[in-house]
Amino acid sequence: MTYSEVIERPAKEHFRFYAAYYLPVFAGIRAYTIDELIEGINKADGLSIFYHVFHPMFSSHVVPEDLHNDFAVWIKNELHLDELAYRVSDISAEEPRTVEDVRRDLINILSKESYDVKAKRPFNFMTCKPVVYDLGKEASNFAELLDQIASITFRSIAYHFVFKRVMGYAPKNDFSLWIERNYSEFSDISKKLSLLDPQTYTEEEKLREDLLTILKEVFK
Amino acid sequence: MMLEKYAQIIGEDELDSIIKIAEKLKGLSILHVNSTPAGGGVAEILSKLVPLMNELGIKTHWKVIRGDQAFFNVTKSFHNLLQNGKGQLPEGAFETYKKWQEINGNELDLDYDIVFIHDPQPAGLIEFRKKAGSKWIWRCHIDISNPHEQVWNFLKGYISKYDSMIISSPVFGRSDLNIPQFVIPPSIDPLSVKNRDIPDITVYRILNKFDVDPDRPIITQISRFDRFKDPVGVIQTYKLVKRHVDVQLVYLGSPASDDPEGEIVYKETVEAAGNDKDIKLLMLPPNSDLEVNVFQRSASVVLQKSIKEGFGLTVSEALWKRRPVIGGNTGGIPLQIIPGITGYLVDTVEEAAHYTLFLLRHKEIADRLGKNGREHVRNNFLITRELRDYLMAAYLTLYPSSNILS
Repeated sequence: MTYSEVIERPAKEHFRFYAAYYLPVFAGIRAYTIDELIEGINKADGLSIFYHVFHPMFSSHVVPEDLHNDFAVWIKNELHLDELAYRVSDISAEEPRTVEDVRRDLINILSKESYDVKAKRPFNFMTCKPVVYDLGKEASNFAELLDQIASITFRSIAYHFVFKRVMGYAPKNDFSLWIERNYSEFSDISKKLSLLDPQTYTEEEKLREDLLTILKEVFK
Repeated sequence: MMLEKYAQIIGEDELDSIIKIAEKLKGLSILHVNSTPAGGGVAEILSKLVPLMNELGIKTHWKVIRGDQAFFNVTKSFHNLLQNGKGQLPEGAFETYKKWQEINGNELDLDYDIVFIHDPQPAGLIEFRKKAGSKWIWRCHIDISNPHEQVWNFLKGYISKYDSMIISSPVFGRSDLNIPQFVIPPSIDPLSVKNRDIPDITVYRILNKFDVDPDRPIITQISRFDRFKDPVGVIQTYKLVKRHVDVQLVYLGSPASDDPEGEIVYKETVEAAGNDKDIKLLMLPPNSDLEVNVFQRSASVVLQKSIKEGFGLTVSEALWKRRPVIGGNTGGIPLQIIPGITGYLVDTVEEAAHYTLFLLRHKEIADRLGKNGREHVRNNFLITRELRDYLMAAYLTLYPSSNILS
């Protein structure tokens, strides 16, 4: 069987595409110091961690290019603790880590030293409420999955590749799971997708591009 | 369809998402209630949102409460006391407020599935909720982060009975409320006269009309003559910049009948301006949208040097026209100005002058900030995003524990 025959071989199950918006909600918590930030991170729900750490991958959620999440931005801009900000910015969130693992890491990094600074402007904790909707699109084989990932709204990629996994609704990203179930010969590709750490992306199209680079390996 | 006109601006995907989310609300009825049919940001946004919601197949009505002069004096004082934390509460204010809530509550048909009540004026209508299962959402358009305690406690008695509320910025969030506080920033309409592209000839004509030279750089600030907008600081900024660049300043404001200080502040600004012919202090009627459009898009740099601000949508208006904006670090301005990306945030006249001069000297950087600003507004501050957020707030209030993976 040629590669083109394999990628057009019908999958056992179709991949159905969904997307989501995440309506921000004030979480009722404010922090002026690192200690208060730690307390807030402890108290906040999982969707709050998702919002501050993963939502910045959307182009609508602006963070400076050199910092990956809201906590890091606030620590740098308001507390001027640059080194700590970079450490917080570069926490790991690759599979199989969830928001709970990220929460633990954040608290560990922030608790290592004591900091005697108070911000003029607080960190306002937000959480979010996802509204998921069916895009009415499907992939019936690998080639169609590739085409859809190349063209579908990024909100769908974020939902399947990031949201479900980091919120603990799936053990790994939906694309890898689907590939493993339907195209066992591409298990290497599935594994490579799992290695991408979405927390380090602040440009949505860059993440799409890197996913496609991995998926294109079927042609090698 | 009106909605289709926005597709060219926001893209088919965004429009499709709005339609998909609206499908979840089809067959339901929605009511918006506010205190004025025209004038001001709330009436402006409702005049756009209500037809769009109807176009999406959701039966949506808009009703306006009535009241006498005493009632509107009370609500005006509420507004000031809630936003600024201080001021004078008229005698018998709470009784007057309650009386008109009762009159409106008995007169208006409030039997809808979802009711959005805008701002404090009609907030007490929650006492007249009759329809079982209906959901009420309080939409707060003002800054309630530092309110007058007595007024806030009075209002809180009503707000806590709502199913959810909407604030414009997390900065305005309240830690003393237990209902969900959705964060939905206001928005601009890219198709309105104030924001759409206009022909060069119109720009030229209006600049000419107000004796502004199109060949020399212009600094613009659009805002009322209000101390919180720091008009004197704007003049001082201009004067510092003028030492280096032959620049002009246009400060365009409108008279506000409910602002007795406006005249005093205007006089202070005139005095600060002196007899410099390159300073144009323009007091135009409130609906001078075309002039606002022209002076924003003709500016080399737009200022919004506020000391205190609600949201400051003039920032988004300027960014949409690809202008770099220098704004005060207050209220909703930091949501719109991302330092070094769409403009600069400042706290002092010196900082404002420094960045204005910097942008006048580095046109390529000003262009880059303006280009980024346009995209930032496209992603975050257009009316279609606000429409989508309202739909989501309605859906999530109706079904707070809906399975998010449905």
